[in-house]
Amino acid sequence: MNRRKFLQNITLGSGAVLLSFNGFGQLLSSKKSSKLTILHTNDTHSNIDPFPSNHAKFPGMGGVSRRHALIQKIRQDEEHVLLLDCGDIFQGTPYFNMFNGELEVKLMSEMGYDAATMGNHDFDIGLEGFKKAKRHAKFSFLCANYDFSETILSGETKSFEIFQKGDLKIGVFGIGIELNGLVTENNYGKTKYLDPITTANSVAKELKQKGCDLIICLSHLGYNYPDSTRISDRKLAQQTSNIDIILGGHTHTFLEKPTIEINKKGKSVLINQVGYAGLYLGRIDIDVEKGVTSRRIELK
Amino acid sequence: MFKFSIIVCVGASLLACSSHIVIEPTRVPITPQNETSAKTEEIIKPYRDSMTAIMSEVVAQADTNFIAQRPSSNLMNWVADAVFIQQTQTVRLSTPAICLLNTGGIRSSLGKGKLTLDDFYKLMPFDNTIVWIELPIEALDDIAAYITKSGGEPIANCKVDKGKLKLNSMREGEKTCMVITTDYLANAGDKMDFLKKGKIVNQTGKLMRDVLIDHAKQEGVLISNNEVRFIP
Repeated sequence: MNRRKFLQNITLGSGAVLLSFNGFGQLLSSKKSSKLTILHTNDTHSNIDPFPSNHAKFPGMGGVSRRHALIQKIRQDEEHVLLLDCGDIFQGTPYFNMFNGELEVKLMSEMGYDAATMGNHDFDIGLEGFKKAKRHAKFSFLCANYDFSETILSGETKSFEIFQKGDLKIGVFGIGIELNGLVTENNYGKTKYLDPITTANSVAKELKQKGCDLIICLSHLGYNYPDSTRISDRKLAQQTSNIDIILGGHTHTFLEKPTIEINKKGKSVLINQVGYAGLYLGRIDIDVEKGVTSRRIELK
Repeated sequence: MFKFSIIVCVGASLLACSSHIVIEPTRVPITPQNETSAKTEEIIKPYRDSMTAIMSEVVAQADTNFIAQRPSSNLMNWVADAVFIQQTQTVRLSTPAICLLNTGGIRSSLGKGKLTLDDFYKLMPFDNTIVWIELPIEALDDIAAYITKSGGEPIANCKVDKGKLKLNSMREGEKTCMVITTDYLANAGDKMDFLKKGKIVNQTGKLMRDVLIDHAKQEGVLISNNEVRFIP
């Protein structure tokens, strides 16, 4: 019996059992409303227009206007959509040099992004430059492990945000990369870098305690490195608990499908990243059941 | 998109409820076949128009393709020479000087034909500025070791030959050497930690991109130099 068939049978079987209990029957019938569609991008790098049609690798791909139309179409079909970005919104085309990130942030607001985390290049015009561009944001920047309290960004970012989608509570938080050696010191000033694993563990635990049904980490750590001591999304997944999904960036990794890692408590964590420049929109549709304390995710 | 959920509940307690979810994630390519959003186009247009007007200015010509390729290439040489020449042509040097940049900082090639401002923004999108560092002469060995390991970086007024850095002009008994580089590298970017051994003597505040544009304008037709500056 192939796996799909097998799973199908089990679904039917357990459904029958569950239906015989009143309370559980209700649980099943409410399933439709708990479908969540997660859309995500990373490392869009100021790519507003599509790549030129003579581009060696990705001719004519990308473009914010097309991404927006696609998102609008998905929103028509799906009730509960979360649109997220994993950082490095800035730097890469003259749009950034000329308008200092204003257009990028304005368009993300227009597309209805719910949250983003900061990448190292989002520090490229300094904290003051970022603060100016951020004025055009109608969404939150989530940075749990950058302590901006002694900088002008104090109070401008959040560690996490909880989104209510139907009766679901979705906890989202952001984890950034070490800035020292990657970003000119003048550009991050007195920002303190907090350990990504310790921070992720404590924020995810807090979100769990607040009753979140699904916990998503927006990361700019990078997918994986040959240097096994270096922190990455895969390492973060293995060394933490309570995170269900890590959406990543920084390494411009084109994953054909997400990776599944097993966390400290033996539970599955889904990791995804969709290259760069807005050439792809990542999409994860997931049925989130209320009251589920442990979840095992498998890819089809 | 198929999704099957199994809800396995132990006993009658909801607290021990666990679920097994099979999902089929996708990545949706954004291609010329996708529709566009009129509203978005409207927001972008004024920005695009003013950008295009500025960026289409022709700055210089290239009569060959300029590419960045380790160990040494015409674009790596051109960029390093441009910075070196623009920074030293009106200065009387009392200490030897070299230019050291990073191959990773050259973000695109320059194609044969007309070169516009846009080409130089693609070549150097970062707002890095030029700094002068006075480095103890012994630290030149660190530069040679770094380049030998990395396989080649843009350098001017010197060569790295079999692990040794040789300046084009060097008097006996020099104790220091000026390294003309970017603020990014001076702050140990790309792990050029040895630059911290020196002291920054001039923060020019001049954008490297502007320096390249000045040099391109001065040359008119870019000079292609394929001299090999790193011999492993």
